[in-house]
Amino acid sequence: MKMILAMVRKELIDAARDKRSVMAGLYYAMGTPLIMCGLFMVLIGQLSSPEDLNINIKNANNAPDLVRYLSNNGINHGDDDEAKKIILTISDDYAANMAKAKPAEVLLVADNSDEKLQKSIRRLEVQLQAYSAEMGSLRLIARGINPRITQPIKINVEDKATADSKGGMILGLAIFTMMYSVFISGMNLAIDTSAGERERNSLALLLSHPMSTRELVLGKIIAVTCFALLGLILILLVSKVAYPFVPWQEIGFTVNISQDFMGLMFLVGIPVALMAATLQLYVSFMAKTFKEAQSYLTMVLFVPLALSMAASYNIAPDVLQWLPVSGQQQALMDFIKGREIPMMQLIVSSVTTLVIAVALAAGLEKSLKSEKVVFGL
Amino acid sequence: MITVANLTKKIGDVQALDNLSFSAENGQITGLLGPNGAGKTTCLRTLFGLLKPDSGTATVDNIDVAVDPIGAKKQLGLFPDPFGLYERLTPREYISFFAELSGMTRKQAKEATANVIAQLKLEDISDRRCKGFSQGQRMKTALAQAIVHQPSNIILDEPTRGLDVMSTRLLRDILLQLKAQGHCVLFSSHVMQEVAALCDRVIVMANGKVVAIGSPDELCQQTGKDSLEDAFIELIGTDEGIAA
Amino acid sequence: MINRKFVNTTSISRLRALGLCQSATRASRWVAVAVAILLANHSVADTADTLVAAPAKTTTCYLDGLDEQFQCGKISVPENPKQPDGKQIDIHFAILPAIKNTHPDEALLAIAGGPGQSAIENAAGFDRMLTKVRQQRDILLIDQRGTGQSNILSCDDGDLNALNINEDDLDMLAITEECLAGIDADVTQYGSNIALKDFEAVREFLGYTKLHLYGISYGSRMAQLYMRHYPEALATVTLDGVVPMQQSVVAIGSSIERGLNVLWRDCKSNPECQQQFPDLVDEYNKVDQQLADAPISQKVRDPQTDEPSDFLLTRSKYSGAIRMAMYMPNTRSLIPHAIHQAAQGNYQPILGIYSLTASSTGIAMGMHASVVCGEDIHRITEQMRKDAKESYISSSMLDGLEKTCEAWPTKQEDDSFSNPIDSDIPTLLLSGELDPATPPNWGALAQEKLTKSKHFIAPYATHGVAYQSCGNDLIAQLVDQGSIKEIDGECLQKDVRRSFYLNANTVEALPIASTNTDIKTDTTAPANTAEDKE
Repeated sequence: MKMILAMVRKELIDAARDKRSVMAGLYYAMGTPLIMCGLFMVLIGQLSSPEDLNINIKNANNAPDLVRYLSNNGINHGDDDEAKKIILTISDDYAANMAKAKPAEVLLVADNSDEKLQKSIRRLEVQLQAYSAEMGSLRLIARGINPRITQPIKINVEDKATADSKGGMILGLAIFTMMYSVFISGMNLAIDTSAGERERNSLALLLSHPMSTRELVLGKIIAVTCFALLGLILILLVSKVAYPFVPWQEIGFTVNISQDFMGLMFLVGIPVALMAATLQLYVSFMAKTFKEAQSYLTMVLFVPLALSMAASYNIAPDVLQWLPVSGQQQALMDFIKGREIPMMQLIVSSVTTLVIAVALAAGLEKSLKSEKVVFGL
Repeated sequence: MITVANLTKKIGDVQALDNLSFSAENGQITGLLGPNGAGKTTCLRTLFGLLKPDSGTATVDNIDVAVDPIGAKKQLGLFPDPFGLYERLTPREYISFFAELSGMTRKQAKEATANVIAQLKLEDISDRRCKGFSQGQRMKTALAQAIVHQPSNIILDEPTRGLDVMSTRLLRDILLQLKAQGHCVLFSSHVMQEVAALCDRVIVMANGKVVAIGSPDELCQQTGKDSLEDAFIELIGTDEGIAA
Repeated sequence: MINRKFVNTTSISRLRALGLCQSATRASRWVAVAVAILLANHSVADTADTLVAAPAKTTTCYLDGLDEQFQCGKISVPENPKQPDGKQIDIHFAILPAIKNTHPDEALLAIAGGPGQSAIENAAGFDRMLTKVRQQRDILLIDQRGTGQSNILSCDDGDLNALNINEDDLDMLAITEECLAGIDADVTQYGSNIALKDFEAVREFLGYTKLHLYGISYGSRMAQLYMRHYPEALATVTLDGVVPMQQSVVAIGSSIERGLNVLWRDCKSNPECQQQFPDLVDEYNKVDQQLADAPISQKVRDPQTDEPSDFLLTRSKYSGAIRMAMYMPNTRSLIPHAIHQAAQGNYQPILGIYSLTASSTGIAMGMHASVVCGEDIHRITEQMRKDAKESYISSSMLDGLEKTCEAWPTKQEDDSFSNPIDSDIPTLLLSGELDPATPPNWGALAQEKLTKSKHFIAPYATHGVAYQSCGNDLIAQLVDQGSIKEIDGECLQKDVRRSFYLNANTVEALPIASTNTDIKTDTTAPANTAEDKE
């Protein structure tokens, strides 16, 4: 135990001083939420229609009432280039047709493939339809007919979504970045302390000391796990601070990183971090050099990350709830959406995660007793 | 005291150790002399239990390495080749870390580290990170690591390789000190001069076998040569891989 | 009268669906109070089933017209506060949770009008109008006692066929007594001041330390009483379509006359309307007089079911339909055409408008009577009575109310009830120049002793300024800043008028009738006569 502590201490000191490679993982933990938030701020701004939408209205004099109606709903005439992306032309016979209850035509010209415009175009269409429906209703009244008859079905919708669950997609991404940070934060340390150790020829020296291979393996696993969890704590804290700055309410929901969630995420993160650490150490010890380990790990880490990514989308098959990483991810998403946590799945996936970690650790211990692995013979 | 008896080890197709037997006594400096590829490093690694011999035993202070590797390793200090420094640690941290790995408590390790730093006159570099150290500074750090826990046996693998004259001298002095303190010092080398100047006993190895054992003088007498170098060539039957 | 209809200003779905009718319906039926009072249907709260008492303070619920999940709950209060151990009634409330709750200890309490409307039933309208406020604060809706789900006092109007009834033949006394017999409640306990205690109890129950108030129409009276009795619980107040404490709601009769005059003025100043309907006032009076002499009976198709029906157009239906149409900018635009057609003997437009108001109303007539009979009817002065004689609407309304209140057990509020509110709570008052119920001078009256207040008059708004203009943005600003200082009503000046219908089809200039396409000529809309007191 004493030796393990000494190992962990040394690894952490060593890693903390390796700004270039090891801190990169932690920069990820700090940077990702910030980048995500920045991205969403821009996206929300781009995707939401401006409160005052300017469009180009041609022949406005042909339909002053319609123009005032649109204006009352925040859609005004503008002459700049931005406004000219949506052109509404009122036909010359608008008033004449209207007076005879014939369809009065307006022409809406815009590029519907322009994502930034889509919402504005939709909004304009909706307002035009609303105006049209209102005119229709009043025409019926003028003829002594109750316009209510035009609505044979009253559609009542009860949406089971909660304010939290509406942000599910975003939260799925947020949780994914947190899971990812568990894997990323410890990765450089894992490589450095295994393949790097051998590259520096210090591995044999370590093994020449009176400590068991198990102690050595545990020491390294704990050190890497600590780093992974440190990354997780960092990303949780940064997320907690950063996410509220995004004006989520503009798209109708909240993204709230509560303390309860942070606590749960951390607890769930511990077995994941252990597995990530052992997996990374195991793979890195198989590699001869730092570079080689990096390329192996990039490939190997794709598996848990793909699981996590898949679980962040609702289309994921059910079996994912039982698998390591994706199971925890789903449970966390359910929690943040205010649903009941699927305890069974969470326990199964966490236990599986731990079993994998233990198996990998055992394999690691065995391989470090092998002359081949230690000396690359 | 280190004893190996009938060690045999095959690595791949190469017979690295072939029925190797010798011993190194306390209070003596024992040199393991042989050309490159003679099996010196394999032999030393076997002593640390890092390699498992196909047959034969290695004991350190009468502890069988195969039976109690940890107990055996506690009696050993290793000066490795290459040094295996941690570039981002200071010598003080580095030495102290290995002292703890050798079984000392943190407090003991710190004291022992301070002592060895004083002993090797490392004060000026003891709190600088190892990155950028000269070869001599590295050697001293590695040596300090090897002796910080005062092991009864000190094993040095090619200790003088790449050292300048001053460093070599210092190393030599320290080895003599250790010998005077009664430690068993075993080092491998292919440098004749070192062996001649330092060793009480020389074990000449070739192809995994002991070719001859004795003091430098005894070896000269045994072969009827004037210099150890000639004796050595005579013993191993070739001058390949020997540095003068 | 003081009814609130929820104008749909932004959402389409509702307009396309029943927006127009719904809004008119909501405004309905208190039409010519006197005659119509017992014709009022009550609409049963659609949401009642979803509200289940639970150990938690609130449970998840859905509200009519909205698909989101909300929080609903109820508290039990004594029907008579002086008998705490007596009969208990449940006061239901609903919370529209803030999107991003930055002020969890605050909420905006939106108070419905009527008197007698359910705030919870009108959640969709409040939600739409208060979108900006809801971004950061909960919206709290409470069904005032006697309305909605809170022990509603409603009167069943049975099988009365609204189309062929002659309101003058109704025996108000008998109908009132019949209604009273069907109500299991001490109706003297349903006045504003007692209901206010319920509001405060709900606030304490939910743990809000400060409330922002929005009171529309009669709801503005509740808001003013809140300012009078629990000022410490309030952060800001918005009074929209203001009923000042000094004013009896029965005085609404003169407001209706004023509303008509503003309408005449608007049509006169509009070239198209003036050209199409040059004799509008005469035509109105002509039909009115005609109906005063004798109602007109016609065979018509039922506006809703299309069944052959008898339509008895009475003076009451005629003036009531036009009065109700004035509440909403879109139905208001149909009035000149409807009058003109009636003068030509075509009563279909009047029938259409009337049918909007006939089918249901959001007003609990029993609660309405409890409020009006206890707080307003005794404030009628001789002068008012004399003035009312001048107008059919006023006199028939007064007449009907007096008969109703004769049979209705009441506890009259004393004179201090009529004192203006003296307060330094930041208060925003909103009046609509075109309002046929609560004219701008009522707002000015309410402002008398409000030391930190601003009163804005929206030149193109009718009743319920916040629903028809940027008034809701001003509310959001007030709630956000907690102060009236920064607020200016400039945006209310925006021309949001609807053109008048020139025939049964169009509001745009008729091509043959006129070549002048610019109808935005001089406007007679009065300038903002806002008075700031700060």
